[in-house]
Amino acid sequence: MSRNYWFHLSSTARTLFEKSPHIERSPRFYNKTPRSGVKRLKAVIVKEFAHILRDPTSLTIIFLMPLLMMFIYGYSISFDLEHIQVGIIDFSNTDLSHRLIKKFSNNRYFVVEDLREKYPGVNPMEEGEKLLKAGALKEVMIIPVDFAQKIKNGQTTDVGIIIDGSDSNIANLVYQYNESIMMEFITELQKVEKLLSVKTSILFNPEVKSSFFFIPGLVAILLMMISAILTSLSISREKESGSIDLIFISPLRTREIIIGKTIPYIGVALGIGAVILLFARFWFGIPFRGSITVLFIFSFLYIVAGLSIGILISTIAPNQKVAMFATLLITMLPSIMLSGFIFPLDSLAPVLRAIAHIVPATYFLRIIRGVVVKGASLKHFVMEGAALIIFAAVLLTLAGIKFSRNRKKK
Amino acid sequence: MIFISPLIQIILLGYVVKTDIDRVRVEIVNLSQNIHAVRIINRIQHTPLFNVEGIYYQDRDCMETFKKGKVKAVIVFRDALERVDKKTGRENPLKYPEIQVIMDGIDSNTSSVAAGYFNGIIKKYILTDVERKGFRMPVENKTLIRFNPRLRSINYIGPGIVALLLTLVGLFLTSVSIVREKEQQTMDTLLISPLTALQIYIGKALPMAIICIFQMFLGIGVVTLWFDISIRGNLLYLLLTAVVFLFATLSYALLISTIASTQQQALFFAWFSMITFILLSGLFTPTENVPPAFQFLVKINPLSYMIKIIREIFLKGNGIEYFYKDLLSLAAIAVTVVTVSLLNFKRFISK
Repeated sequence: MSRNYWFHLSSTARTLFEKSPHIERSPRFYNKTPRSGVKRLKAVIVKEFAHILRDPTSLTIIFLMPLLMMFIYGYSISFDLEHIQVGIIDFSNTDLSHRLIKKFSNNRYFVVEDLREKYPGVNPMEEGEKLLKAGALKEVMIIPVDFAQKIKNGQTTDVGIIIDGSDSNIANLVYQYNESIMMEFITELQKVEKLLSVKTSILFNPEVKSSFFFIPGLVAILLMMISAILTSLSISREKESGSIDLIFISPLRTREIIIGKTIPYIGVALGIGAVILLFARFWFGIPFRGSITVLFIFSFLYIVAGLSIGILISTIAPNQKVAMFATLLITMLPSIMLSGFIFPLDSLAPVLRAIAHIVPATYFLRIIRGVVVKGASLKHFVMEGAALIIFAAVLLTLAGIKFSRNRKKK
Repeated sequence: MIFISPLIQIILLGYVVKTDIDRVRVEIVNLSQNIHAVRIINRIQHTPLFNVEGIYYQDRDCMETFKKGKVKAVIVFRDALERVDKKTGRENPLKYPEIQVIMDGIDSNTSSVAAGYFNGIIKKYILTDVERKGFRMPVENKTLIRFNPRLRSINYIGPGIVALLLTLVGLFLTSVSIVREKEQQTMDTLLISPLTALQIYIGKALPMAIICIFQMFLGIGVVTLWFDISIRGNLLYLLLTAVVFLFATLSYALLISTIASTQQQALFFAWFSMITFILLSGLFTPTENVPPAFQFLVKINPLSYMIKIIREIFLKGNGIEYFYKDLLSLAAIAVTVVTVSLLNFKRFISK
């Protein structure tokens, strides 16, 4: 677009333009149009800040919504497994079988009940089957009549274990707990040292709480959602009100508009991020072992990636409604499903794993879990940081291309 | 769209939502000169459960590896320092290496499952080795896994996704339906027509219900044929449950759509209700873990009942005697939501 175009503007557009004084230009002041890109950029930023401050309600909602979600979901999502209900049918009823049962009831994961004692008069096997089907029991253990005798005679005796396999993960854990308790029982029985000692030490999360896994993940997902929503509304809002035409015809370069519209939201999103992180630290008690500066740097990159998704959407979407919905869909679903937030990435199909690599949350999840819980530093996540930068750069460029195309069409 | 979208959704979700834990990335540090160590490592390499990222023969700083987050566990083999145990004075005749497993505890679920896998491998190895040397185990577990013997997570998730599909379609399409008429002002035409509030209400809900039921059967077809999950129970019970569930969901969606003034608001409401419904339904994570203060959210969530019942029907083949209580609770929720939303609708119409 040639600069001479300015002189051919209709008078109405001219007056409209003069009503927004913080954009330091109007045809009349053509000569005053700042020649330095920095100054023009500053004008866009100032204008965008005005947009944000003019709508305090939305700003409050955007601050409160993630806190509310964090509160509800942070408490609700958990894989921790305790109180596994086990029904025991003890046909042997000897000291040895009681010792075995005691081993189970002393374990913190199992809640043991004797089916013959609890439901006298009915066939315990049938009762066990019924309770298993109803989901009241996760496991039924059957100790045979000749349990003690066979052990004394030096023969091998079998203990029947029936596990409800419907939830494969729980079933897997229940199975493993069973095996390890039985191993303990055997070594005690033989009065021998363990044949082989496997020492398991669990780092970073000795109590094995799943909140250490989920809460930082939740921070990543909320941050992505919020930052993308923020910018997705910025250009589509101008489309709805028609003020986009004024920006189209202004002498601003496309990159100045795109960057200028992104920068103010970095501040807002960082503020929200800080609030969410404080919530995670002090309400959910997630330890912060890493350096705040490192976390800040990566959060900054991640937020820019999120904002650039929003900008791209908002150059494509015709109005705020579409923009908002597309943003929720595009950011929430892959961030939850394909980032390793709940479902382990390693067991995904190869195609989906490839897709996961273009989801920024995948990288940030690794970073935030590493920095917050493990105390990792900058050098551990150079690749992830680079990926985030590339992601943001590509999307911002695409947004710029799309924007200047729209501009030329007008 | 109505045909294809549920197909795509189910197939995609079926592949993504996998809680199976396999290919756990581990690093092995072998400082032992024991032949057993080599044999055990060989077994670890040949199971699909683990993905060995590297084998090292010198001591390494495992803290660094963990911080990078490349592996979930480091397994270290060391020679036992002394062949004679000091405490018991007994010679360790088998001379197994000392094994140390260091786990990244952040992903608590993966680490506990992986630790279990590892112990299983070790145990099997020792058993075969020990038996070769003529030793017998006094007790052996004979484990039978019911309902899902191959422990595939899709068997558990698949039926849940069918229930999810019902919610998705029901909530989204229905919640914008009245708002759209409000926005286009065709609502006024409906209001001055001789139809009663109840008639309009049913007229809005019924076509949606039929579409949803149709999609549910399409979903069941995909789940059974594509993902190879068998239905052990009676489909009629499922239909009954689905109808009750749809009553609740569709009325809730209509409630949203009478309250919201723009389609955007309606979608926003529907979206957040749906996320909350899903996360508190037991679809991905067990609801037993939801703290008592939030249990009421699970109790009033129709999706949690629906998912529970559909799983029982699919996996366990349970008859109604097993889940009539859940069905009654679901019905109670449905009646409450229908009443509230109908009252609200009448008030909205009389305006």
